Amino acid sequence: MSLITSPSNVATKDVLIEARDVEFDFGQTPALRGANVSIGQGEILAVMGPSGSGKSTLLHCLAGILVPKHGEIRLSGERIDNFAENRRGALRRDTFGFVFQFGQLVPELTAEENVALPLLLNGMRRNDALGRAREWFSRLGIEGMERRRSGELSGGQAQRVALARGLVAHPKVLFADEPTGSLDSLTGELVMELLVTAAREDGTTVVLVTHEPRVAAYADREVIVRDGRVTSLTPEPAP
Amino acid sequence: MIRFGLRLSTRGGRESLTRIVVMALAVSVGVAMLLLTLGTINGLGKQNARGAWMSTRPSNEVGFSNFGPPPRASSTPSNASPTWWYVGTDQFENQIIARIDVAATGAHSLVPPGIPHLPGPGQFYASPALAELLRTTPARDLGDRFGGAEIGTIGASALPSPNDLIIVIGQSAHTLSRITGAGTITSFATSSNSGGPDTSGTTGLQIVLGVLALVLLFPVLVFIGAAMRLSAARREQRFAAIRLAGATMRQVSVVATIEALVAAIPGVVLGFGLYFATEPALVHVPFSGQPLESGDLRIGLINVLVVVIGVPLAAAVVARLALRRVQVSPLGVTRRVTPRPPRAYRVIPLVTGIAELAYFVSIGRPASAGGQIQAYLLGFFLIMVGLVLAGPWLTMQGSKFMAQRTSRVSLLLAGRRLSDNPRGAFRAISGLILAIFVTSVSVGVISTILTDHGATSSTTLASKTVTDQFAFSRFGDVSKVPASVITTLRTIPGVTGVTTVYVAPKGLKTDGAITDINGLGGSVQYGLVSCAQLASTPALGRCHPGAIYAALGDDVAFMPVTKSVTIAASTIWPSAQFSNGLNRLPVQLVAVATNGSLSSIEYVETVLDRAFPFEGSTSLFGEVNPNAGQLLKELQTSSEVIILASLLIAGCSLAVAMAAGVSERRRPFSLLRLSGAPLGVLQRVVALETAGPLLVIAIASALIGFLASYLFLKSQLGLTLRPPGLTYYLIVVSGLVGALSMIASTMPLLDRVTRPEDARTE
Repeated sequence: MSLITSPSNVATKDVLIEARDVEFDFGQTPALRGANVSIGQGEILAVMGPSGSGKSTLLHCLAGILVPKHGEIRLSGERIDNFAENRRGALRRDTFGFVFQFGQLVPELTAEENVALPLLLNGMRRNDALGRAREWFSRLGIEGMERRRSGELSGGQAQRVALARGLVAHPKVLFADEPTGSLDSLTGELVMELLVTAAREDGTTVVLVTHEPRVAAYADREVIVRDGRVTSLTPEPAP
Repeated sequence: MIRFGLRLSTRGGRESLTRIVVMALAVSVGVAMLLLTLGTINGLGKQNARGAWMSTRPSNEVGFSNFGPPPRASSTPSNASPTWWYVGTDQFENQIIARIDVAATGAHSLVPPGIPHLPGPGQFYASPALAELLRTTPARDLGDRFGGAEIGTIGASALPSPNDLIIVIGQSAHTLSRITGAGTITSFATSSNSGGPDTSGTTGLQIVLGVLALVLLFPVLVFIGAAMRLSAARREQRFAAIRLAGATMRQVSVVATIEALVAAIPGVVLGFGLYFATEPALVHVPFSGQPLESGDLRIGLINVLVVVIGVPLAAAVVARLALRRVQVSPLGVTRRVTPRPPRAYRVIPLVTGIAELAYFVSIGRPASAGGQIQAYLLGFFLIMVGLVLAGPWLTMQGSKFMAQRTSRVSLLLAGRRLSDNPRGAFRAISGLILAIFVTSVSVGVISTILTDHGATSSTTLASKTVTDQFAFSRFGDVSKVPASVITTLRTIPGVTGVTTVYVAPKGLKTDGAITDINGLGGSVQYGLVSCAQLASTPALGRCHPGAIYAALGDDVAFMPVTKSVTIAASTIWPSAQFSNGLNRLPVQLVAVATNGSLSSIEYVETVLDRAFPFEGSTSLFGEVNPNAGQLLKELQTSSEVIILASLLIAGCSLAVAMAAGVSERRRPFSLLRLSGAPLGVLQRVVALETAGPLLVIAIASALIGFLASYLFLKSQLGLTLRPPGLTYYLIVVSGLVGALSMIASTMPLLDRVTRPEDARTE
């Protein structure tokens, strides 16, 4: 088994998103130094590593939030790192979903309005968007929370609302950055189970950044980012 | 703790420094606006004081018995000999000329301010603006009214405004002693509220302007409050960290106070700098219709102390109050539960105030003047209180309605934000609502009265007809108009007719009731006129076919105050049975119809002024009372200036509130943007949160202001509200555009603080 992930040894037809020789720095501080990673269609990939290793930076590069200084990001074979910000924004809105550690819900909106946001941003009518959003509440076990504000939800409930928001528009890729970082272990596991189940049901690819092995265990495959480079711990998708 | 607070504020790194600089800048703008507002109030007072000498009334007016309160003067004791004194007004091309006739009674007679000594008979001093006008205008149009030789100009210390037209004419004591209304004075009034004639057009105006300027203070104070709350959310997070380190709430309060002072004190200093930099330009703003003198806007020591002590004190209080609204626990800052929504009872005072004014429309105004004042003041007071109280409730209802129905993300986010904290959203514009309401009432009432008077029209018959009326003057009726004057008037190019209206004898028989347009009843003198002459001045009305004499109503004799002079033109006056010679009757009015050219009008006024220098008051028939018209126009100008200023100040407040709101929601906004929400959506959110209430409140308070003025005009004056002129709309639109531009100027901040690449996701 090769420890270094290389795009060349991943079957092109399976790869949904990949980073090739990506380099990024924050001024004088290098964050990624030739990172390579390929993620297959429907795969759940855990990106692990110690604090400051560059795992969040890698996620941001893959999601089109940061533009690598060198290297390429490809989605379904198409290079996306050279897209203009507007186009990358549209990609994030239409093709990707996001779940962060905390603070992503808009405090003034109700939980169902928060979930419906991506649909409304895509121009869906209010009633249709809210109807679609409400389906996720029963799916994620938070029925009855639809009209609550984020301040009236527990941490676990808020993360499930955030998860619903990340998945409601059926993105191709869900980027989750420490989604259980602010939760206790039991709640964290519940959220991860829901995330994985929902992603599997919808065939959504998940890129999961975490430093917790228990969370990473939910993934199909784990990679470690260390000193700006990606090391694979588990086999890559078979050609 | 104080030293710790200071260290925390000043050595908190770049972010801390930026926060202090932004707050200090915002406070400085607020302080500058406050100082300029106070300066404007002071300036109007100084303008008033400079013109007060013209309000002096002799204590022994010749023939004075029927009009006004007993004369008074003398607030400055003097050992000088008395001076004969007579004050009148004239008009040239819609500008008021204050005319003061003086005569010495001894070698040390009292000398008015601004001139070295009293002019002798045949001499005069003119204000620089009038002197210039005399130099550039043909004598027959202006100079001949006064005669004599100019021996100098009146100094600036005696002029309310550099543009004022004032003349001090020397007469002999013998001449003035025979003039009704003249008298001797031994000192000058120091305030134009002393009951004297409104020669400079500033009496009363100053008081109203003072009140209007006070209205400006509300938006300014709201702005300063908004500036002080800037960065409150970020501060609170830091306070939680201090609590975690073991600080008590009391210690946190001290730190918060120190931080507020650290920003407020340099803000005050900068504000004074801004004030001194902008003050010279502001004197040119015609706040009272006339520019102020250089230095008028200087503030006094008390003002300085109030600002220097008051603003930092207010900053400290606001900081402590802001802390009361949050619970700073060692584990973080949590806003207290969503504030209780405002209740519907808040609209009761507003509805009651409107209902009260409407009630008087249905039953008519109260009979007594005191009753009228009480009724209308109560109504307006209720509406003003009601607007401030109802504002948050209306904001909440409107935003809820919007948020519950929209499919647009920007409307949803803005609507929810506004309905979540309608008091906070309304706070930034609460000052504006009162300013717009008060000024809209004032503009509505003034526009209607001015339009009703026909003063703004230059094409009506009334505006082409010059009248010299004697009945309304203090001097009684003129016994005779010399034939030579009538002949001269008829030969002036452009004059199409001359009519002399005589005082109708008691018991005059007419073939019908005399039209009483103003409803003044029978306590007035009616006029008697030859129908042959009346036909040559159609602005005064018509006779029945074949009639020889007609009896004119008080609307012509007294010059209507509230009813349109155009009514007079269409009136057919009742025929009068009269057989004696008209020439035996005292003259009430001379009316001269012209072709409307300025040259002919001024020439006619010059001839009439020369013939009757101390009797009557010459003006266009359309300009019912030149002083009143001037006063109303000045009030309208002031109202419009205040509308513009309050909108711009509200724009500043909203820009600051928006910056604070963006800073407070930096994380959810940047994560939204990171998730693909276009920047335009977020821009629309903050624009709707700020510009939406601004536009709605400005329009709503203007409409309620016009509704209130409609009800007032209808019940008190029997008039229908006329829409204000184009200038009003231009000013409102300019103010709104200015305010929106200020809000728009903070948009780059939104882009900068929510950039996806800078977002922290963990």
